[in-house]
Amino acid sequence: MGGRLSRLRAVAANTFRETVRERVLYNLVFFAILMTLSGLLLGQLSIRQDEKIIKDIGLAAMDLFGLLIAVFIGVGLVSKEIERRSLYPLLAKPITRGEFYLGKFAGLVFTLLVNLAVMTAGLYLTLLATGRRLDPGLLAAVYPIFLGLVLVVAFAMLFSTLTSSALASIFTVGVVVAGRFTDVVRNMREVAPGVPSWLVETLYLALPNFRNFDFKDRVAYGDPVSPSILAWATVYGAAYVAVVLALGLASFRSRDFQ
Amino acid sequence: MQDTATPLVVRGLSKAYRVGHVLQSLRPVLQDLDLDVRPGEVLGYVGPNGAGKTTTLKLLTGLLRADRGQAWVFGLPLADRRWRHRVGYLPEHPYLYDYLTPAEYLDYVGRLFGLAASRRRERSRELLALVGLERSAEQPMRRFSKGMVQRAALAQALVNDPELLILDEPMSGLDPLGRRLVRNLILDLRKTGKTVLFSTHILSDAEALCDRVAVLRAGRLVKVGALGEILRLEVAHMEVFAAGLGPDASGLENARREQVGDRTRLEVEERSLGRMIAAVEAAGGRVLSVQPVRQSLEDYFFQAMEGRASGEGTWGEG
Repeated sequence: MGGRLSRLRAVAANTFRETVRERVLYNLVFFAILMTLSGLLLGQLSIRQDEKIIKDIGLAAMDLFGLLIAVFIGVGLVSKEIERRSLYPLLAKPITRGEFYLGKFAGLVFTLLVNLAVMTAGLYLTLLATGRRLDPGLLAAVYPIFLGLVLVVAFAMLFSTLTSSALASIFTVGVVVAGRFTDVVRNMREVAPGVPSWLVETLYLALPNFRNFDFKDRVAYGDPVSPSILAWATVYGAAYVAVVLALGLASFRSRDFQ
Repeated sequence: MQDTATPLVVRGLSKAYRVGHVLQSLRPVLQDLDLDVRPGEVLGYVGPNGAGKTTTLKLLTGLLRADRGQAWVFGLPLADRRWRHRVGYLPEHPYLYDYLTPAEYLDYVGRLFGLAASRRRERSRELLALVGLERSAEQPMRRFSKGMVQRAALAQALVNDPELLILDEPMSGLDPLGRRLVRNLILDLRKTGKTVLFSTHILSDAEALCDRVAVLRAGRLVKVGALGEILRLEVAHMEVFAAGLGPDASGLENARREQVGDRTRLEVEERSLGRMIAAVEAAGGRVLSVQPVRQSLEDYFFQAMEGRASGEGTWGEG
């Protein structure tokens, strides 16, 4: 068990080191902070709405750039391992494919956590610069964003084991977009009555509802988010991540590396 | 129960790849491979491109799943991962993480083997010196030439001080210095009692290093055995190099004759050698060298690939 954990940690640490050495990642975090800072300017143009606008823009930047980072590292790092064959020497070592896959996932999740922490710090500093108090309520929006991004990484890894990096990126973004508009999927039959109800039902149930991780508006308006809602989002996210990870693991384990 | 002292036993290993997109079919790449690798030997796995060498090594290291057959490493089935602590593997055309330095990479590999930090540092220093990369230890591998990457990849295969080393085309991409380094390394490993299984299409390497060779053709094992068993070791003919012979020199009619620059190369039967040397001197020439020529692995290989090598049909486990 100790050996298993130490191998998993080794892969996770190396994955984190890889992302830290990626310049593109720094660019994305830089743009996210820049976008947050632009809230300062927009805030000055509005009357008594500056705090809300800064929070709005800051959280939206976190969500958007977090998504880009999740897709970029989730697809990039796993596909690259397969396409460049860098995992060949490693999979001949005592590490199992499952340990490698989960280690990779843990490393990517830690990278997301660090990136979100940096972006959150950027948002708080922006608020401080305008003389606002440090509102811990913001974390009630940041935490679900993190949960959603962890799910995005799980999907990106799953698709990376099944197809090329280009297609994996398209599929991942497709799932996120569809997952943000699950209501449209549910009401699809009203627009297109020919679509079989079982297909609509299956799609609606299979697609994760990414709106369950979206509390940006509520937090920006200062509405409280109860712990029970956050707990529900955690359970929902964890269940989905577990299923998607299990599918990815099964695919990665059965794959031939020709 | 398999013999735990035998590094590798393979029985009936088979693999086919799916080809085509719409109408898929199965193309067999390895068929019913039976092979034993004995303790302390260097076994060369030779065959042309596409013969199934890399597929075999990938099946053994778990990168591919076999359709049929089984293999045991030190008596343990492939699915049992304990044997991996005793084996090193160098893939063909290795790609290592280019954002890491070789020292960092070896440290990472050492962690996968559960080595303590002090042992990892020590091993990394030893191995980088062994493969001649000690001066590049802290340089990112993205700046490495192909040969340097191959050396670093060889080092990673040795991190756990393996008893069995599986090398897929280890000389690939190396300059003459690198090739000599790998050759010496394999010979040193043999001296210390390690077992080496390496695939190659460079027959001179196999001839120089191997105790036995296994010849693979179109996914089937053609022959396994010591070089002496496989090759005809009797002298095929004598090769004589002479200087100062005119084009119409007499007494050389029984020899195959070829002009190489200002020298003449003569191919004669062993029993005619004395008469031939006398004839060269009588014609005013000077003998520069005399050399017996035996069948080389290369000669054998080309004959085997054409299905002409002696004994075909009865070839099997040597």
